[in-house]
Amino acid sequence: MANLELKEYNQQTSTTKTRLSWLWSEYSVIIAFLIIFIAASIMSPRFLDINNQLNILMQVSIIGIVALGMTVVMLSGGIDLSVGSVLVLVGVISVLALNASGSIFVAILTALAIGSAAGFLNGLMVAKGRIASFIATLGMMAGARSIALYIAEGGSVSGKVSGFTAIANSDLWLIDYPIIIFLIMTVLVYVLMHKTRFGRYVYALGSNEKAALLSAIRVDRVKLGVYSLAGLLVSVAAIIETSRLNSISSSSSGVQYELDAIAAVIIGGTRMTGGRGKIIGTFFGVLILGILNNMMNLMNVSPHLQGFVKGLIIIVAVLFQKRE
Amino acid sequence: MSADPFMIMKNIEKSFNGVPVLKKVTLEIQRGEIHALLGENGAGKSTLMNVLGGVHQPDNGLINLNGEAVKMTTPRVSQAHGISFIHQELNVVPDLRVYENMFLGSELRNKIGFLKVEEMCRQTSSVLEQLGVSINPKEYVRNLDTSYKQLIEIAKALLHKSSLIIMDEPTSSLAEHEVNRLFKLMNNLKNSGVSIIYISHKLKEIKKVCDRYTVLRDGEVVGTGCIENESLDTITKLMVGKSISEDRFIHGHSFGPVLLEVNHLTSEGLFNNIDFTVRKGEILGFTGLAGDGRTELFESLFGYRKNYSGSIKINNQPVKIDHPSKAIKAGIGLVPKDRKENAIIKDLSVVHNMSLSAMRNFEKFGFIRDQLENQIFQSYKEKLNIKVHNAGITIDKLSGGNQQKVIIAKWLEVNTDIIIFDNPTQGIDVGAKQEIYHHIITLAEQGKAVIILSSEAPEVLKICHNIYVMYQGEITARFKGEEATEDEIMSYATGSKREAHQIG
Ligand SMILES: Nc1ncnc2c1ncn2[C@@H]1O[C@H](COP(=O)(O)OP(=O)(O)OP(=O)(O)O)[C@@H](O)[C@H]1O
Ligand SMILES: [Mg+2]
Repeated sequence: MANLELKEYNQQTSTTKTRLSWLWSEYSVIIAFLIIFIAASIMSPRFLDINNQLNILMQVSIIGIVALGMTVVMLSGGIDLSVGSVLVLVGVISVLALNASGSIFVAILTALAIGSAAGFLNGLMVAKGRIASFIATLGMMAGARSIALYIAEGGSVSGKVSGFTAIANSDLWLIDYPIIIFLIMTVLVYVLMHKTRFGRYVYALGSNEKAALLSAIRVDRVKLGVYSLAGLLVSVAAIIETSRLNSISSSSSGVQYELDAIAAVIIGGTRMTGGRGKIIGTFFGVLILGILNNMMNLMNVSPHLQGFVKGLIIIVAVLFQKRE
Repeated sequence: MSADPFMIMKNIEKSFNGVPVLKKVTLEIQRGEIHALLGENGAGKSTLMNVLGGVHQPDNGLINLNGEAVKMTTPRVSQAHGISFIHQELNVVPDLRVYENMFLGSELRNKIGFLKVEEMCRQTSSVLEQLGVSINPKEYVRNLDTSYKQLIEIAKALLHKSSLIIMDEPTSSLAEHEVNRLFKLMNNLKNSGVSIIYISHKLKEIKKVCDRYTVLRDGEVVGTGCIENESLDTITKLMVGKSISEDRFIHGHSFGPVLLEVNHLTSEGLFNNIDFTVRKGEILGFTGLAGDGRTELFESLFGYRKNYSGSIKINNQPVKIDHPSKAIKAGIGLVPKDRKENAIIKDLSVVHNMSLSAMRNFEKFGFIRDQLENQIFQSYKEKLNIKVHNAGITIDKLSGGNQQKVIIAKWLEVNTDIIIFDNPTQGIDVGAKQEIYHHIITLAEQGKAVIILSSEAPEVLKICHNIYVMYQGEITARFKGEEATEDEIMSYATGSKREAHQIG
């Protein structure tokens, strides 16, 4: 009798355990986000202040937009190290275009064109040249930065058209434009990845490239699309970055953006080798990074130590992924 | 039968996400016997073996080995207890050499810690030799044909001096002479006291090598006994609940005009000077041994391989196909062999695997219609009897045979005029095989041209109107389906006869 009860008890715990582990594996980023959010609000009363909250969102919006593109690249089984450098190159050229034409519209178009062209070039090297994405984008990283430095003669370039700064410095009912742009981009990329053929193909390609090809997917074109999209998103981020201060520095802007973006993607649960991960995961990964930065500032942690904390978080996140 | 079996699994229970897969399953294995584990696709055979092999933990139940209770917590523990496991899906690492694969995780080292490469190569060669295979141990596995990959898996299990070997469909991509050699080896092992659990859907093989059997159905044991005392028919009935006819399926036929015409197709080292035509409504079979070039031939036709010369005409129009997507546009579909490598997208759900090659059927204004996808999947699920509780789970959670059915559904959905099936019934149970044959015949009756590649002569004999035999990249014989015999096919497939019969 006792034995029977024990068995039943065993069975029940095992089903609740499997259910919990399912919940954890599907939503671990969101759960981690909630834990960090609650911990932050307990540790610092100023954290929950609406201005602080908006501040966090504002600060993550640029990296957030870059990370969306990085997610798509990593889902396809690649990586894009060139995002920071391309961002600077796009910024520098679009400021020049702005000053030369006097038109904000022309500046934006230039930015989008340069960004997606750089991405397309990455895609060509990876898809047609069969160069490993790490190497191809490492080359682009060095190349794009160098051209930006050359054009700006190592310094900064500033906009001379009034109204350009409005893009990043206006708000709609308290919410700054960059936040709104980040949210819109998140929704768009989400829809692209989960509701269209392109997204399905990216997952297939990242999971089993040979089977994707034998499924009659134009693997090369999908790759070109993936890297071009990442470049396009980088140019959106570049417009915000440039507009925020009305200038961009060819030497110090965009440095280590690739690291922050990759960190957000990894924390968001996307698998390094592709095929598995979610846009929503990256969204929360970005927020987690933002909250951590914010908390360290609020608690006066030395800026020199902040990199250490970030590194630790990435490693912990990857350890949890391995467990699965 | 001795009183205390060598291995007992007692009252094993296992469920996934609340769905019971094994319900109080008991399995007894004697020392030195070959025990057949039988059952339909999704009956729970692989799951039961995964429990024994330490891959899955049972929710309940005991495992007794040599009279002692054991807990198989990890695959390593199971191996340490003398159990070797040949998995249903190939697990070789393509980018490693043959000997590196054989000794993966148990490399031989000398005193200082350096690898004993020559010794490993020597042992690899000698084990492979027992299986009748001569390949260079230093060859990269990615360059080998699938049947060799499967033989490497088998050889790997033989390398460890195990007392119990689990073979989960070891012959699914082997040719007949390779199977026979394996059986000889299994008999030797048996005589030296090794026990073998043998899973297969090929009942003739079971009858040939196995001593006893246990049949699973929906996760329950429905029968166990000695093979000798039973006819194949009773065992089939136990498995699928009905008897299966072994007769030829198709009789009368009428063909339409020629749909596909292939002339002088040649690819250096793979196939040579291939000519054939397929008519509307015709089912054409290609058979031969491993390495006969038929898979490469049709991969070229499908645009996966590009280095070939010769001409391909569809509906009398010359076509140039250099990518699978162009093949589909031209009306050619290919269900590839070796699903794990060539067809399964393991991170996509079952439904998404089904729709992958026919996305345009599921789109409206550029957006995917999830509901339609699910609906269509439901219809295939019923048509092909695919066993899955929740079609939203990733496809690698399905049993091997059910994965294969999803891949077939995927290409039925693409619905091309010419459809090539490469080893289509790999891992599919006897009952479902009949269903799939019926579907293929229906396709032909609808006026499609069907091409079937199979290493099993009985399969092509059963459903093909015309049969081509290949040997070392050349077509060595052409038969009418009703005139060919297995023996004759074999003599052309092995190269002992060569002159080509012409079809009238
Ligand atoms: N990891 C898993 N998660 C969820 N369900 C699973 C998992 N593994 C197996 N199943 C389910 O368990 C059932 C039995 O699967 P199993 O692989 O044991 O079948 P099988 O008898 O080996 O079939 P086949 O002959 O097709 O190989 C199937 O319905 C399958 O969907
Ligand atoms: Mg199985």
